[in-house]
Amino acid sequence: MPDVQPQVRVRPLDELDIGRITEIDERITGIYRPEVWERRVGYYLRRDPDSSQVAEVEGRVVGFMLGDVRAGEFGIESPSGWIERFGIDPDFRGRDIGRQLFEAILRHFRGCGTGAVRTLVDDRDAAVAGFLGALGFTPSSLKALEMQIAQPPPEPR
Amino acid sequence: MNVETVTLEKKYHDAVEHWRRHWLPDYDSLLENWEKHFPQDERFCLCAKMECGTSDTVSVGEHAGEKKRTNPSELTEEEARHLLAIIRAQASTEFGSIQQHTGTLARAQNDEDRYWVLRVMAEELRHGYQMFHLLLSQDWSKASGGVEGRQMVEEILSMGTGSHVLDAFNLEYDSFIDNICFAALIDRVGKYQLTMQKICAYRPMADSMPPMLREEAFHLAAGVIPMRRWARRAAEGDPFITMPAIQKSINKWFPRGLEMFGDERGGDKNMRFGFKDMKNREAQDLYIEEVRRMIRDINLRFLRARFPGESPEKAENRLESLERDRGRRDGVAHEDLLRLPDHRFFRRKGEPAWSMVGVDGEVFDDVDTYLRYLGTQLADGYMAARDLTLYADTLRKVVAGELTADEAVRKMPRLKRVGGNCPCSKSVRWVVEEAPASSGA
Repeated sequence: MPDVQPQVRVRPLDELDIGRITEIDERITGIYRPEVWERRVGYYLRRDPDSSQVAEVEGRVVGFMLGDVRAGEFGIESPSGWIERFGIDPDFRGRDIGRQLFEAILRHFRGCGTGAVRTLVDDRDAAVAGFLGALGFTPSSLKALEMQIAQPPPEPR
Repeated sequence: MNVETVTLEKKYHDAVEHWRRHWLPDYDSLLENWEKHFPQDERFCLCAKMECGTSDTVSVGEHAGEKKRTNPSELTEEEARHLLAIIRAQASTEFGSIQQHTGTLARAQNDEDRYWVLRVMAEELRHGYQMFHLLLSQDWSKASGGVEGRQMVEEILSMGTGSHVLDAFNLEYDSFIDNICFAALIDRVGKYQLTMQKICAYRPMADSMPPMLREEAFHLAAGVIPMRRWARRAAEGDPFITMPAIQKSINKWFPRGLEMFGDERGGDKNMRFGFKDMKNREAQDLYIEEVRRMIRDINLRFLRARFPGESPEKAENRLESLERDRGRRDGVAHEDLLRLPDHRFFRRKGEPAWSMVGVDGEVFDDVDTYLRYLGTQLADGYMAARDLTLYADTLRKVVAGELTADEAVRKMPRLKRVGGNCPCSKSVRWVVEEAPASSGA
């Protein structure tokens, strides 16, 4: 008998996905941080719910990709699609769910008239960098830079 | 997204602005603090938004495959009348919810909750404005019995809590808990209605839906996210919010939400005319399942906060065990969790109207016992409200056989504005209208 895997359904994010997104993040990072996801999902829902997608298998959310369309950032005046966060439940990896999420978001970004999709990746995270490369992302001339800011010592009491 | 924005003729735009000054006095504060609470978001615009590039073809009903209508004159008289009733009801809900939110907005415990609700109110104002655009941009006289768009706008702007088309918009809020539960439960019905209407055979209506739905997504979040945070606080023993207080508000709004779908046996016309793609019961069943999911989500948030070291799997097992045994485990009782009320609980319209059924499906056969039971399931402030005394009087008559359930639905009095169209006018009184029981819309 061939192994028939249940179908993946990709749909826009909604407010009832917060619990499962929190769980997926917890499975990946080992940290339970519902406040972070309440804030982030609230942000993306008020921006545009169609710019963020989740993947369901048998009615259970197993992956998510959060993004939005912005213009005027870093001198880029034309609207760009930005992908900020994504995660796939470790039990459901290797089933092309990330690509399906990305394609759904890409379709929406196209409909919004965006000319590019942008994201940031930590070079040290080879798995994520590899995934994004497989999707077609290439290094941008726009480089992420950072500088650590030392906190002043506390005032003596 | 390709959206065209439209502004109403000045006199109508000004009328909405005038109404807004009465019912949304914090509007200026919202605009002044927009960047603080909603950084990067497009500024609020009081305008109608029409989605471009939607389907031009009717997808369901008798006209499936035909070109969508763009003018009421292309609809039959019955279709136009039916659609006009939907638009009018939709407009009434938008303005109605602002009036309800205003009453308790200032009682929000923090600024974020308050500004989220304020944004919801402003967007509801825009949705009402959107419906006015549909009423005013075409001639509806064939369907309205000669009533002009101007008069319809005046009528809707003159409605107050008590005189709106749908019951859910005729109840005052008792506390800020109602602001949040209303957003989570009643706006969710709104989402279903808007989603069903995305396919509407009248194209301007269909084109109005996507921008409204995008905003509605945040309205639901403005209900569910504060509710999740309250569940955490309740689990941590915060004395200012409890799960029973949230449950009482759910018990108040859920029955009215179910009734917003129309009678469970209806909805044929909407499908036949191509205005919606689901019948009432089908949409209501999906809604019930979604609310069940929401309540499960809130309960898991509560249990994770109550037992911080536990895994998600353990929290799920704990929830399932509490729901199954309805008992107590490790200091948490089943009553400490939220419950989905039975769909027959506290109903006054639709198939189970006037049946005396409890939150958990228990059936009562004595009116006084049932009313005393309601007193344990609803907030004290609501129990002391006029709505409950009217409900109790009518229920007694139904049980005594003095009224049939259908007659009782029609006999529920409404608060009607009897003089003046400006909201400044307070001349309202309770009247019984001999209106049809339910449009089945």
